[in-house]
Amino acid sequence: MKSSLKIFAFVIAVLTFYSYVGNSVPQKITYPPETADLSQDMTPDELAIAGADIVAGKGTCLGCHTVGSQDSGLRFPDLGGIATRASTQISGMSALDYLAQSLYEPDDFIVEGFLAGMPAINRPPIGLMDDEIKAVIAYLQSLGGTPTVTLGTDLGYVTEVSATVPAGGAALGAGLDGPGVFQAYLCNTCHSIDLPDRLVGPSLYDVGSRLSNAEIYEAVMDPDAVLADGFPGGVMPTTLNALGFYQKVSPEELRSLVNYLSEQQGN
Amino acid sequence: MPETRLRKLFNPWKSDSAKESPWQPTELRPRSSRPIRLSYLPICAAILIAVAIVGLLVLPAGASPQDALQDAANPDYRPFPFVGSRVAIWVIAQLHLMFAAFVLAVPMFALILEIIGFVTKEKRYDDLAYEFTKLLSVSFSFTATLGAMLTFMLFILYPRVATYMVSIFSWTFFPYVFLFFLEAVFMYSYYYGWGKFSPKVHLALGVGLNIVGTAIMFIADAWLTFMNTPSGISETGALVSLPDAINNFIWMPINIHRLIANMAFGGSIAAAYGAYKFLGAKTEAEKAHYDWMGYIGNFIAISALLPLPFAGYYLGKEIYAYSQSLGITLMGGTFSWLFIIQAILIGNLFLAANYYLWVSMERIEGAERFRRFIKYLLASVTITFIVWATPHSLVATVEEARQMGGAHHPMLGVLGVMSAKNTAVNVMILTTYISFLLYRRGNKEAIVPWAKTGNRIQFFIFAATILFVIFLGVYGYFVEARVRIALSVPQVLAVLSAMISVTVIDIFMFKNARKTGEIKWGQMPDRAQYALFFIALTFAWTMGLMGYVRAGMRQHWHVFGVLQDTSPDAFTPTLGFAANVISVTVLIFFLFIAIVFWLSGLSGKKPWEPKVVDERQSAESVGAKGNLETRE
Repeated sequence: MKSSLKIFAFVIAVLTFYSYVGNSVPQKITYPPETADLSQDMTPDELAIAGADIVAGKGTCLGCHTVGSQDSGLRFPDLGGIATRASTQISGMSALDYLAQSLYEPDDFIVEGFLAGMPAINRPPIGLMDDEIKAVIAYLQSLGGTPTVTLGTDLGYVTEVSATVPAGGAALGAGLDGPGVFQAYLCNTCHSIDLPDRLVGPSLYDVGSRLSNAEIYEAVMDPDAVLADGFPGGVMPTTLNALGFYQKVSPEELRSLVNYLSEQQGN
Repeated sequence: MPETRLRKLFNPWKSDSAKESPWQPTELRPRSSRPIRLSYLPICAAILIAVAIVGLLVLPAGASPQDALQDAANPDYRPFPFVGSRVAIWVIAQLHLMFAAFVLAVPMFALILEIIGFVTKEKRYDDLAYEFTKLLSVSFSFTATLGAMLTFMLFILYPRVATYMVSIFSWTFFPYVFLFFLEAVFMYSYYYGWGKFSPKVHLALGVGLNIVGTAIMFIADAWLTFMNTPSGISETGALVSLPDAINNFIWMPINIHRLIANMAFGGSIAAAYGAYKFLGAKTEAEKAHYDWMGYIGNFIAISALLPLPFAGYYLGKEIYAYSQSLGITLMGGTFSWLFIIQAILIGNLFLAANYYLWVSMERIEGAERFRRFIKYLLASVTITFIVWATPHSLVATVEEARQMGGAHHPMLGVLGVMSAKNTAVNVMILTTYISFLLYRRGNKEAIVPWAKTGNRIQFFIFAATILFVIFLGVYGYFVEARVRIALSVPQVLAVLSAMISVTVIDIFMFKNARKTGEIKWGQMPDRAQYALFFIALTFAWTMGLMGYVRAGMRQHWHVFGVLQDTSPDAFTPTLGFAANVISVTVLIFFLFIAIVFWLSGLSGKKPWEPKVVDERQSAESVGAKGNLETRE
């Protein structure tokens, strides 16, 4: 019995040590990529700024490529000054066409000294939309040149929607923004958002000044945990359950909702 | 209220309550949902039948892949109380894998030991093989139970994923269920038929058991590898070719990796069993037996560990071949720090394995002459361990990063790249092999006339190999990526060649060698047994970590690039969170294994007999208690 207890204590000690090691390295949560917010009236420079975010985020380009690195022995071409090089890579081909073809059909041009391996970024798993690719090109043009692309530019490629929406990809949560979630789940029928008027539930027009994001989140996820004075419990959870809110809402939508509510400062 | 507590735990803003806190996805549980309670099914046969029924029922309902994809468009996740669906299925899947690995590995080395016993006519090998096999029957029931739980939970909690997988692999379920029954037949006939068949028939049963077990693993591997590197499907995810879906990019690498890793893991658990029995042994004979058992188990574990990194290279190569971005996510992106943890684990394994060998040499008469080498071996393992565990980028404050000129340390950063790590691990493997070689020679002295030359050749092989491996490691810094990546292959081949050639020389050199002393089995300190526990725990933890990264590298995809994870758990959690889940899983596994050890030990106990009580004493005793009842 004594030796069994010693063994058990030893097991706990070893597992605790490994948990400690796991918690000692840098901690990072990786979220599913979000669709970029682009509009038709964006200038090439604005598009390039949006493109930089896509390159670093949804496009996962910087997982392989560097920008302006002087290191030797890179596994994939550095993107620094790509706008200049793109115009001279293939004789008779414009920089814009070269960049577009490199993104849509990456195996067509393999830079000398490197191996093929880049996926077509308009297809899963990256699955950028055509407009997002234009933003990426605008960003690439800004690396050593001047962006010229707008969302109206015809690149000669059109991706079918099915290619970017894989099986089940458009399922749970249709990507509603904060106001969209607020309306879709009928929050507005019980809560006023524009005025300090009391409806079935308390007005939310100044909820952002009264509650922190954490408290708003708590109030959504566990409405009866803290009840506002004079309001009965049970109404909101019953309603949300009936609407399937907790099953359907995606993390992005929930975040949008909480952010939207936190923006309600009462003015 | 635990549910409320957990909800708060997962509150994305709770930690600092700052409104600007970054978003962290959270557990979402419908409050109206009834908690899903799964009955524990203790009877193995019932589980087998249940699994078969699930497979058969699902098959006709599976419909076409297109239908499945249509269905998959509907929101289809279900919550699990307290820990959430992902953690629940994660833990169960990992426990199932651990038991499955053990159940598949034990027959392999039991059969090898039985063959050794059959060939050498040494009964102790046969006895040991039987003792290992005793652990099988209970473990098999645990494996089947956990497998059934995993199946149920997959269909209940992740019906969309399950439906899609069924639409691809439905026809593989028939042979899987059939083979499962066949394995039960082979296993129980192998166990209960010990000594009841002719040795050759019994060995044939062992071979059958291993073939069937391996085939089962290969089928299950097809399912899980498809999720990472899907093949044989159209752009919309519909099945085009089942053979291609099975033989996807990492199917065979995983098969090979698992075969070897199962041996290592199973050996370590068997060694832990030996250690457990050693610590509770009451006689010297028992201690000697279990010391030997622990040694054999550990020998199997470490022998399998040595080639494991090479199988890992093959697996990694195929992942990159399938998708560069998947490979980079695995090795250089989100999970790059996971491989620092892995380096610590593997480094610990090698350290503990070497330590056990060095302590074991204390019980060998004549091995004292090798003691002076231990400090050099320790230095080699330690240095290579440090190199391997050196991260490429350091956790630094802004000021420190500014001073370093980035996240890479000007000196240590050089050691954080694959050229250095590949070199380190190869040298570490060679060092461990040398430790084993010294152990093997402990009480032997070569008497062949060419012994001196043989030693010199072996030394030359070691020196040349180490220099070659280091040279390639340094050379890797000066060449472009595609050349550098390919350098790991000659490094691996050089080390493998060295180990094989030195072993061959050693076998011939020490044939009919003079014995300088005896191995005093049982004269081992307790701390050596704890080293065996440490190795088993570290193997299990490593398995958990690798299981996590294999699934985690898909990130927000159930089937990479095909079926997207749209559940609230679509995010990839922190390594700390994963580490905690792994630790809890390993703890549960070892609690289960303790039950297996205990149950296996029951067969060695004396049969229960009622106490014979003297009639007069009994009457007095009863009378003293004022009880009127008397014994007949």
